[in-house]
Amino acid sequence: MSGSDTPVVLIVEDEPDVAETYNLWLADDYAVRTAASGDEGLAKLDADVDVVLLDRMMPGLSGDEVLERIRERGFDCRVAMVTAVEPDFDILEMGFDAYLCKPIRSGQLHDTVENLLERTEYDDLLQEYYALVEKQATLEATKSSAELADNDEYADLQDRVTALQDDLSETLGGIEDDEDFIATLRGLGDVEEQ
Amino acid sequence: MSRSSDSGTTYDLTGRLEFDALSSVRAGSNILVSGPAMSGKEDLVRSMLASGSEQGQGAIIVTTSDRAEAVIDDYRERVPGLDESKLGVVDCRGEGGRSSERTPEGTFVYHISSPGEITGMGIGITKCLEALEDAGADSGRFALTSLSTILTYTDKKTVFKLCHVLNSRFDSTGYLGLFTIDSSAHDDQTLQVIKQAFDGMVEIREKEGRHEARVLGLAGQPTDWQAF
Repeated sequence: MSGSDTPVVLIVEDEPDVAETYNLWLADDYAVRTAASGDEGLAKLDADVDVVLLDRMMPGLSGDEVLERIRERGFDCRVAMVTAVEPDFDILEMGFDAYLCKPIRSGQLHDTVENLLERTEYDDLLQEYYALVEKQATLEATKSSAELADNDEYADLQDRVTALQDDLSETLGGIEDDEDFIATLRGLGDVEEQ
Repeated sequence: MSRSSDSGTTYDLTGRLEFDALSSVRAGSNILVSGPAMSGKEDLVRSMLASGSEQGQGAIIVTTSDRAEAVIDDYRERVPGLDESKLGVVDCRGEGGRSSERTPEGTFVYHISSPGEITGMGIGITKCLEALEDAGADSGRFALTSLSTILTYTDKKTVFKLCHVLNSRFDSTGYLGLFTIDSSAHDDQTLQVIKQAFDGMVEIREKEGRHEARVLGLAGQPTDWQAF
């Protein structure tokens, strides 16, 4: 997530009224940026952006092309596609994290942004969890069980590992949903065939 | 999709191995099967899946070395009268991009181009779960063979996270997960890290030309070694 406390949402939408409506709904809870085209969206994208709401059908760069460039540039923000019709293709395979079908209601928009932020939180917790497990494994591989029993650092690590396990199982309802599952795996980074 | 785990559901993994600790394993558990090369890990895991299929449970096999056709042929021999629509296979040795197919006998197969393609693997598993649910399997067993191959394409951090996320996923679908790892191919620290993503472990060793196994983590203390 970005350095500041308030999550940043970037709205890429070519219809000014629609963009302004989303902005009004979200501005109390998030730092909102708006862009009227794909090019402008890419220009306003930086490492601080947590969530992108991306209109699929825009003049100039399409939403699909913008998504591709976001991924190419290595930003790990979450991207929700906004469409006029229910997509007849697999949004997960396309690399979007979620989709919203117009007309969008305020509650729905908030829920989607919250869910995407929770996924980022899950990724961060999982990274922290891994780092602790790795430390724990290093201690276990280098010390005898008697040494470990007297080791304060080891005891502290064990407590933190348990606490993080609880946090992880409470975040995203423990990956209850297919989209959360795929998006989390996508965050691990693919190694494509050489 | 609406699947929820029934906390009362358990899986009986005995048969080849006769351990009490394996007789009623909680749904949503993930078990690591660890042993040296050529110690029968994959065969053991497939036999554990087969006994579920004999009872009408679903079976999902992710394979990093065998092609889907070979996996299905092998599975047919293990389960006489197999309902092939309750079998799903993710083949990581596909050519070209991601694709899915259904065999004439009804098995859902998803192809990805490399064992390092974690997202594709996840999509394949999700689609298998869907296909099996449509076929009427509301519980099932999952096997991934092997983590060692994935480790050569990625790293231990990615594999650890993959296992953790799959473990969470199976918690909510009520599946039972079995994963193999070649203990002779990785250093102790790697094995120690990967283990942490699992609820329990079946450890295999070779002693005087025989294979022996023991169970750790599922029921208190490690069990004694048992030949199989």
